[in-house]
Amino acid sequence: MTTRLMQGSEAVAEAALAAGCRFFSGYPMTPFTELLENMGRKLPGAGGVCMNAASEIEAVNMTIGAAATGARVATGSCGQGLALMQEGIAELALNELPAVIFNMARGQQDYFQATRGGGWGDYRTITLAPRDVPEAVEHTQLLFYLADRYRTPVVLYGDYVIAHSTVGIDVQPIEFPATAPKDWALDGSMSGTGRARQIWTWALGKPNTPGPGPNGSWELIAEKYDQIGRAEARHEAYRTDDADVVLVSFGTTSVFVDSVVDELREDGVRVGSFRPITLWPFPGDALEQATRGCAHVLVYELNAGQLVDDVRMHAADRSVIRSIGGVSQDPSGMRQGDLLNADILRHRVRDALGLTPQGATS
Amino acid sequence: MTQREVLFTGVGGQGVQIASKALAMAALAEGRDVLLLPSYGGFMRGGKTNAGLTLGDGPLRALPVITSAWSAFVMDQAFWETVRPNLAAGAVVVVNSSLFSLEVEVPRAQVFAVPASDMATALGSPMSAAFLMLGAFAAVTGVVGVESVVGAMRQLVPAYREQHVAANARAIEAGAASVPTLAAPAWPDVAVRS
Repeated sequence: MTTRLMQGSEAVAEAALAAGCRFFSGYPMTPFTELLENMGRKLPGAGGVCMNAASEIEAVNMTIGAAATGARVATGSCGQGLALMQEGIAELALNELPAVIFNMARGQQDYFQATRGGGWGDYRTITLAPRDVPEAVEHTQLLFYLADRYRTPVVLYGDYVIAHSTVGIDVQPIEFPATAPKDWALDGSMSGTGRARQIWTWALGKPNTPGPGPNGSWELIAEKYDQIGRAEARHEAYRTDDADVVLVSFGTTSVFVDSVVDELREDGVRVGSFRPITLWPFPGDALEQATRGCAHVLVYELNAGQLVDDVRMHAADRSVIRSIGGVSQDPSGMRQGDLLNADILRHRVRDALGLTPQGATS
Repeated sequence: MTQREVLFTGVGGQGVQIASKALAMAALAEGRDVLLLPSYGGFMRGGKTNAGLTLGDGPLRALPVITSAWSAFVMDQAFWETVRPNLAAGAVVVVNSSLFSLEVEVPRAQVFAVPASDMATALGSPMSAAFLMLGAFAAVTGVVGVESVVGAMRQLVPAYREQHVAANARAIEAGAASVPTLAAPAWPDVAVRS
């Protein structure tokens, strides 16, 4: 085991390589740029290809082509660039092509984009939101597996903190169950046989081998996302067993939330925290269970209120839900702002609970 | 578990980022856990360049945004106000007094003034000022050994800048010699370690 000092972007790139990623394309945009640079440095040595595309639209379409060959592939950007890629992500979903999409987001304002999608048609993207660099390394490898297992595009919701944090880490490959052979891949093996393969939206097929047609294709895809929804929801509940107050957050914000939970517990507040690890499928049943009987469900997200929609759909009692986060952008525009701060969070929780300020005598 | 936080501040081009990385690398080499998060804007030179580093002698339970730091590494006064409110009372504050003439308004701060830019210039390598500061920081706190700083610097300086390694090493040693050794020890066991 060799622990090395690595920036999160490099650790994620190492994880992608360990998972067998052999094609990557992207267009530079902070804080995604370092991931692209690291893939550019590392992929050729591993027998892969990294393309600096002329735009995000080009990058995602290159990824569609590379995915169709059966290789493990990825692309990414931050939310702004992913906005341009939405049509391509929808095409990946509807052509049932596996690909990993890295959102090294500039904050927490892309929750809707990740979980509702901006492309066309009935599809979803499995979205994992790691809380720190070691978890991002694990999630990256899990995502390549899930993409292949379900033949679907999947998203890693990272951010500036994960992309730029530098830690000592040893990236090791994780073993996953074998996935089905890619007997659909356009690898040239069927050329000239009259049974050459084809990948086409809605699996429309050819005159001699018709596909299921639009309706049949939609039904199959819908059934697949249903199955993912039942099987792949992941969450972490921290000190919620006897909690009267549950704080809900996602991604790097949860590190701050858990720290405040520990501090408030020392003050005798019965508080716990819940975080969806998969933003989609949302771990609704687990949230329902974690919030049963709670007097307060407080949602801390650094945006105008996105995760709170999912919380409202699933918490045991909608009437006790309140948002205590808000828009929070750094002056550079490239990372979370002042609200990514344990002191501010602690004050907001205490305010919401009507507790006296710390140090004050009542 | 003891955990120590260092807030770095300076102006782009002074070497703040490489100094923070060198300290993280030196600590990792000594078996510490580290978490470093840089913070800078769209400037190559002349803008704010900060970093927050947490070091621990066991698995960290660290927040990447630090609000009650044990110490500060102040290369320049320009963005001092972005760091000062996030220092704990009694913080160890090592300042480059060539470029810092403010009052350190932190309760019970332990301030060490090192004229790093002037000293580095006198040594003939003004670019080594941040490493000189880092040598002083390591010596006064024992947060890492001075020789570990030299080792990390050797790894971090890219091959095409190899010619600066000797000057950086001299600067680290000069910085270490300019301050009282272990005047503000970082670790309970530091005397044994060094």
